[in-house]
Amino acid sequence: MTERIRQLKQFFVIDKAHHATRFQSQDEYALAEHFKQKGLNDLERATQRLTLMMAAETPLLFPLERIVLTRRNPTVPSLFTKAELDRIKSTHKLHERGEVCNISVDYTMLLNRGLRDRRSELTISAAAFAKAGEKDKADYLTMQVEILDALQDLCNRYREQAIREGRQEIADMLTRVPMLAPRTFPEALQMFRILHFAMWLGGNYHNTVGRLDQYLYPYYRADIDAGRMTKESALEWLEEFFLTFNRDSDLYPGMQQGDNGQSIMLGGLNTDGSDSYNELSELCLKASLELCLIDPKINLRVNHNTPLDVYVLGSELTKQGLGFPQYANDEIVIPALLAYGYEPRDAYNYTVAACWEFIVPGRGMDIPNIGAVSFAAAMQKAVAEQLESTTNFDALLTAVKNNIHQQVLENVKAVQNLYIFPAPFLSLMMDGCSDSGRDVSLGCRYNNYGLHGTGIATAVDALAAIRKYVFGDQSITKTELLHALERDYAEQDGLLAKLRFDAPKMGNNDPEVDDIAVALMDAFADSVQGQINERGGIFRAGTGSAMYYVWHAANLPATADGRHAGEGLAANYSPSLFARLKGPISILQSFAKPHLTRLCNGGPLTLELHDTMFRNEQAIQKVALMVKSFMDMGGHQLQLNAVNRDTMLDAQRNPKDHRNLIVRVWGWSGYFVELDKEYQDHIIKRMELAL
Amino acid sequence: MNGIIFDIKEGAIHDGPGLRQTVFVKGCPLRCSWCHNPEGLSPRMELMISPNGCTCCGSCVKACPKGDRLLNFGKPVDCDACGLCVAACPQRIRRLAGEAITAGALADRLLANAPYYASTGGGVTFSGGEPLMQAAFVLETLRLLGSGVHKAVETSGYGAEADFDQFMASFDLVMMDLKSMDDDIHRHFTGVSNERILANAKRLCAGSTPFIIRIPVIPGVNDTVEHYSAVAELVSAAPALLRVEMLPYHLTAGAKYAMLHKPYTPGFDPDCPVHINQDIFAQYGIRSCVL
Repeated sequence: MTERIRQLKQFFVIDKAHHATRFQSQDEYALAEHFKQKGLNDLERATQRLTLMMAAETPLLFPLERIVLTRRNPTVPSLFTKAELDRIKSTHKLHERGEVCNISVDYTMLLNRGLRDRRSELTISAAAFAKAGEKDKADYLTMQVEILDALQDLCNRYREQAIREGRQEIADMLTRVPMLAPRTFPEALQMFRILHFAMWLGGNYHNTVGRLDQYLYPYYRADIDAGRMTKESALEWLEEFFLTFNRDSDLYPGMQQGDNGQSIMLGGLNTDGSDSYNELSELCLKASLELCLIDPKINLRVNHNTPLDVYVLGSELTKQGLGFPQYANDEIVIPALLAYGYEPRDAYNYTVAACWEFIVPGRGMDIPNIGAVSFAAAMQKAVAEQLESTTNFDALLTAVKNNIHQQVLENVKAVQNLYIFPAPFLSLMMDGCSDSGRDVSLGCRYNNYGLHGTGIATAVDALAAIRKYVFGDQSITKTELLHALERDYAEQDGLLAKLRFDAPKMGNNDPEVDDIAVALMDAFADSVQGQINERGGIFRAGTGSAMYYVWHAANLPATADGRHAGEGLAANYSPSLFARLKGPISILQSFAKPHLTRLCNGGPLTLELHDTMFRNEQAIQKVALMVKSFMDMGGHQLQLNAVNRDTMLDAQRNPKDHRNLIVRVWGWSGYFVELDKEYQDHIIKRMELAL
Repeated sequence: MNGIIFDIKEGAIHDGPGLRQTVFVKGCPLRCSWCHNPEGLSPRMELMISPNGCTCCGSCVKACPKGDRLLNFGKPVDCDACGLCVAACPQRIRRLAGEAITAGALADRLLANAPYYASTGGGVTFSGGEPLMQAAFVLETLRLLGSGVHKAVETSGYGAEADFDQFMASFDLVMMDLKSMDDDIHRHFTGVSNERILANAKRLCAGSTPFIIRIPVIPGVNDTVEHYSAVAELVSAAPALLRVEMLPYHLTAGAKYAMLHKPYTPGFDPDCPVHINQDIFAQYGIRSCVL
């Protein structure tokens, strides 16, 4: 890392010195009141909000920076008043905040063109629509032109400021971009910063970065080949660029600080079977390794030919304790996406949403986190209602599968009448949206929904225990078990210990347990099969949890795996929090068994490894071998954490000493001390393996 | 053929090439004062009790045939590891260290996952305890594993020469400790003379079995130029030496003593920083690394 980058990191990330330049927060609903009085429709509101936000920004140049744009206004106003929102919610389903989020736009649609080119196209199309009497479409494109103009104005103000301050390099850069297409790698980075900045200003969030190493590679290659840049200078540019993701990120909406969706996907197979992993992919890993920051979050696509060196570089990054890279296996994900009906060009082009859901850039308006199924609840309900009358284990298993099916149906029903607020700026980077004058919020090429699946290990462990002790050796009677569950194991310490610690568990490569996991996960995949949503898309079953692992645990009574009422479920696709397991290899083996091509909405197996496991090169090489082996066994997605429980406990006691401790939460990394205690405690409870 | 082991660790990364299954055999003739596997010392079953989580419910006292003589850690002085309290403890904080197993059963267990480990360039490692103490059992297990499994051993080298020769012939890799070249220091800190060990080390040096010398680096005991030089002098001409590995002492070594109700009295200052010196080995043309 150069001294300049070190100082920029100190300024923006550690000291957060730029926060002092921010405006006061404003009333989130004041603008909506104004919109309401003027009788504006949703599209007009979305457009005006964004153009007003851009107009309100005033240029800020900081010492040493070469890539500019720093947000001053902390408040993105609501499009609607509270009363209006209540009315909307009474007739429509709103997903999260109602804004378009968690998609991957195709940046190149603006980045490779420049705004001027795109603007004139839009003007011509608008005129054509007007002529054809399609006023709505003409108006839509005209509003997009207004947005581009406002963005250009903002960048002009930055350029003028740069000239005033004698920052010639910045001024030159802004003379080129965003109006004209970038010619160099640095210009492309500045162009991206401008586009991404505008997306956040417009109220859209979980604005993912996508396959950066692919769409920026031509700029990189050209500069290297022309001798305008060396690998070293490229790395410095890239590191400054990565720092920009950490400037305003505390203002981005999310469940917790850090949950902001700035994910990058590196590498991946091309349709011809070649590997797209390139020099820039490697530089991205290196930049992240040197910077040690939670953003951007690195994902890495691998396949059976991925060299061990790539896994080694990834493991070095894991060693930093950032909780990434997260690995995705092309051998599983691409066939899965093809089976879901994605065209090959899109399946091979997949990236991840904010956390780990597999989505396609520029063409997917998928909502991969629209709902969730709780395997644990499906199991618990079957046990509570049907164990008594059930004569054999298979019948109980069938009851669980029926409950899973029921939950899928409830999820499907709950997402009728979806309303998403217009996103005219994002639509400029989504295939077909602006040419047709149709906002991306109404749909795009793909409109699939994804359902998470939580508590698989809890469900499987409970069923395995019942199979062994109730139907097998009959050492526990149905009445005894049901009574204990009802009373949350009160005064049943012996029974609790047997179920909690002695019973078979998922993650021990035990065929007697893992076959239940295969059956339940197949049932989930079967249940979504054939379900069509109101946008014509399908439902995809997944292995992620997002924050559902907290929500689904809270009201879940005691379970037959020896889990107390309300006790946590594992996050994502992971063993139970208290399972005693033989070790990481068994976990990998167990979790590779289910038919993951059928449950490929996304959701990684998560392994916590003690940080001492990474203590030398040889050890890192072996962690890399382990990751590779999961992929070779047919795993779909893997995320490793280098953790140290003692460090985390100390961070709870002395947060000031651990400001920079980074942990993985569910699909994103955050600063440990900035998390709510509930999340901190869960992370501490997760298993920690030492080899 | 029966043996006693106390753990099979999966995915071990510091015990030879690739990922490995490491078998810990129980029983050791040495009493190194820095030993971090105290449950590997005795060749008999032993009761271990975790210091955390006891609710003082008294279930162990009721279950124990010697319940009237339980000490404050919940273990009678003459505990014969019957295991009744293990099953009785609702917190499952007790366990028996030690598993009697036949060579055939052990080989079957290892073979079940052998292809996985082979695919990572790994295999099986015997550690302990001291594998030489159960040489016949270990050798029989090796025979049953067949030729398709990479086999390594971690040994103190303290054993009969005939057994050691057989180990050299049967293992693909030997990792042997040289704790101190000075016999007085060796006796003082390990309880035994280093005479046999050095004799076996010389056999290793003269042989063709690939080997690694390991030095558990203990502050104030053997982290000296004299020790490093003597080790280098001994092994520098050995054709089959791969490298010297130094394993710095870790403060957590004492963690398991309380669980066995044994005192941990290291006999040296564990807080003292260790002196690592790789230059000496470099001077002798020997590769070295720190684990």
